[in-house]
Amino acid sequence: MISLILLFPLVACLILFLIKNRALNNIMIILYAIIHLICSVCLCFDYNPSDINQNFFATDNLNKIFLIVLSIVFFAVSFYNAAYIKYDKSLTRKLRHYSYAVLLFVLSMTGAILSTNLGINWVFIEATTLASAYLIYFHKTKHSIEAAWKYVFICSIGIALAFVGIILLGAAEGDLNSLFYNDLYSNAKSFEPFWLKLSFIFILFGIGTKMGLAPVHFWLPDAHAQSPSPISALLSATLLNSAFLMIVNVFKIMKLAGCDFYAKLILFVMGFISLFIAAVFVYHIKNYKRMLAYSSVENMGILAIGLALGGVGMAASLIHLIGHSFIKAAFFMTSGNILKIYKTKKIKSVTGILSCDNKTGWLWILSFLGIAAFPPSVLFISEFLIVKTMFKQEHYIMGALFLLLLTIVLYGLGKAVINMSANNGAQEKVKLSQLMYIPQIVLLAVSFILGIYFPFYGYIMSTAQGF
Amino acid sequence: MENIFIILLGLSMLYIASTSRLKAHINMLSAQGWLLFFICITGLAHENRLNIQLFENLKENSAHLLGIIFIIIETLGIKSFVIPLFLNKVLNKTQAHRDSDANIPHFYALVISSVILFSGFMVANVQIPAFKLISPLYFGVSISIIITSLWLITIKHTVLSNVISFITMENGIFLLSLAIAKEMPVIVNLGVLLDIFIAVFILGMLVREINTEFNDLGVSQLSDLKDYE
Repeated sequence: MISLILLFPLVACLILFLIKNRALNNIMIILYAIIHLICSVCLCFDYNPSDINQNFFATDNLNKIFLIVLSIVFFAVSFYNAAYIKYDKSLTRKLRHYSYAVLLFVLSMTGAILSTNLGINWVFIEATTLASAYLIYFHKTKHSIEAAWKYVFICSIGIALAFVGIILLGAAEGDLNSLFYNDLYSNAKSFEPFWLKLSFIFILFGIGTKMGLAPVHFWLPDAHAQSPSPISALLSATLLNSAFLMIVNVFKIMKLAGCDFYAKLILFVMGFISLFIAAVFVYHIKNYKRMLAYSSVENMGILAIGLALGGVGMAASLIHLIGHSFIKAAFFMTSGNILKIYKTKKIKSVTGILSCDNKTGWLWILSFLGIAAFPPSVLFISEFLIVKTMFKQEHYIMGALFLLLLTIVLYGLGKAVINMSANNGAQEKVKLSQLMYIPQIVLLAVSFILGIYFPFYGYIMSTAQGF
Repeated sequence: MENIFIILLGLSMLYIASTSRLKAHINMLSAQGWLLFFICITGLAHENRLNIQLFENLKENSAHLLGIIFIIIETLGIKSFVIPLFLNKVLNKTQAHRDSDANIPHFYALVISSVILFSGFMVANVQIPAFKLISPLYFGVSISIIITSLWLITIKHTVLSNVISFITMENGIFLLSLAIAKEMPVIVNLGVLLDIFIAVFILGMLVREINTEFNDLGVSQLSDLKDYE
C-alpha cells in the first residue's frame, strides 16, 4: 500500500510525459486522489500486505490521522480542481506542468507524513517546497514571482536551519548513530540535554517556518494569496500539517528526554505570537485570500499551544488539525469561486455574494462559522478543550489572553465575510459548475457532523497520551 | 593541517562581506568548494580513515568508500564546479555585475564579519563538558559562517547576492556536519545534496524570471505584496 501511494505519482508523471492528452491530466490527479484515499483507509485499518518500504515509511497511531486528513482533503480538492481548471485560462495553457507539480507535491507531503526517519522526513519537507514553488509561481505575474521567491527563499533558509538542528541532534545522540524515530525515542533519556535543547530550537524555527508559525511566517500570506485556489487549499490544509507532524515527533524526543518544560515554553511563545499577529493583521486586511492565510497562521498557533499543553491539550490539537484542514480547504475553494465571479481579491470590491451566487455565498458564511468554532463546528470541541486544559493547569491569564485574541480574529474575519456576503452587489447572477460546490459541501458537512458526533475521541486521546 | 583550510574558509567570508563584485563572490564560492574538499580529505587522513587498505577490502569498506565518493562529488563536483558555473550563466544573462547598494558600507561589513569570525574562534575555545562530542574549531568557524551568511542576506540588495549568501550558509552547515565526530547516514547526505542542487537551480531560474519581469535584480522590487493594500 505504501509503495503504491508513493510510486503512483511517479508513474503518472511518466504517463503524462509520454501521452500528451489534455483530458489525461485531470484523470491522473483524480485517480491518484482515489488511490490515495483507498490506500490511506487500508493503512488506517492496518491492512498493508507485503510492503517493501517498511524501513523508511510506516504508519503509526499518530501519522494515520495526518495521512487520512491529507487523503480526504486531496480527494475533495482533486474534483474541485477539475472544474476550476476550465475557468482559468492560464491553467489550461500549461496544464501538464501543473499536473506534474500537483502530483509531486502530494507525493512529497505523503512521504513526509509516512517517514520513520528524521533525515528522510527533512528531505521530503524540502521536496514539498520545491514541488509547490512552481504552483505558487504558476500565473507568472509580478506578484506571483515575488510570492514564489519569498516562499522558496524563506523556506529554504528555514529548512537549512532545521538541518543544523538535525546535525546538533546527532551531537546530542552520543554513540547512537541513527535518525530513526524509534531509536531516538528509546534512547532519548541518554541524550546530552545541552545539544538536544539547541537542536530543538533550530528544528522548531526551521520547520516552524514551513508550518507558518509566527514570527517566521512571512512567506505564508503571499504564497496563499497568489497561488491558484485549489493549491491554496492544499497548502493551508495539508502542507502545514506535514510540517507540524515533524515538530510533534521532535517534541516527543524532548518529552522523553525530560526537556519538555523548555520545549513547551518556546511552543507557547510561538503559538501566542501567531495568535497575536493574526489578530493584528486580520482586522485591517484588504485581500480576502490573505485574510484566510492569516487565519491559517492563527490556527497553527492554536496547534502549537495545544501541543505545549500536552495530554488533553494535544488531543485537542489533533481534533483542531482535522477540523481546520477540512474547513480551511472548503474556505479556500470557496474563495476560488468568488475570484472566478468577481475577478478580484479585494474585500471592498466584493459585495452581495448571496444575491450573485447563492450557493457560494452560503458556503462562504458556513466556512466562516466553521473556522470561527461556532457549534456544531468540530473546532468548537478542540478550542473548548484547549481552554479547559489551560484553566485546569491553572494558566488563567494565558486562557483569558487566548480567548481575547480568538475573539479579535473572529471579529476581523466576521466583519469581512458579512460585508462580502450580505450587501447587495451590482454583479449579475453567475452559474458555476456543480463540482465547484460539492467538495466544499462535503468537507463542511463532515466537520459539522464531527462536531456533533466524534467517533474517534478514544483513539485520539490514546494517541495523545504520550505527550 | 585541516585547521589551516578551516581558517581559510572562515577568512573567505570576510572577502565576500567586503566586496561588491558578484563575479568575485562566485569565484569565492568555487574556492570554498575546494577548501571543503581539502578539509574532508585531510580530516579523513588525519583520523586514518583514508588509506590504501580501504581499497584492498572493498566489500567491507563499501559504505565508507561510498561516503568518500559522495564527499568528492558534493565538494568538488557540485560546490566548486556546477553551482558556480550555473551562477555565472545567470550572471551573464542578467548582466548584474555589482551589488553596490548594500545597507552597510564595505568597511563596516568587514569589521562586523571579522567580529563574528572572532566570536566563532572564541566559541571554539570554550571548555564545557558538552563540547567533547564535537571538534571545537569546526564548530566555531561553521557557526560564524552561518551567522555571517544570514547577516549578509539581510544587508545585500540584489537577489543574486541573496542566493550566493544562501550557498555560503549551506557551506557553513556542511562544515558543521563535519564537526560531529561520526558520519551522518549516506541517504541523508544524498538528500541534502539533491536539495541544495535543486534549490539553487530553482532560485537561479527565479532570478532570471525576476530580471525579465522587473528589469532589475534589486530586492526592493519584491515588496509589492502588502497586507493593507
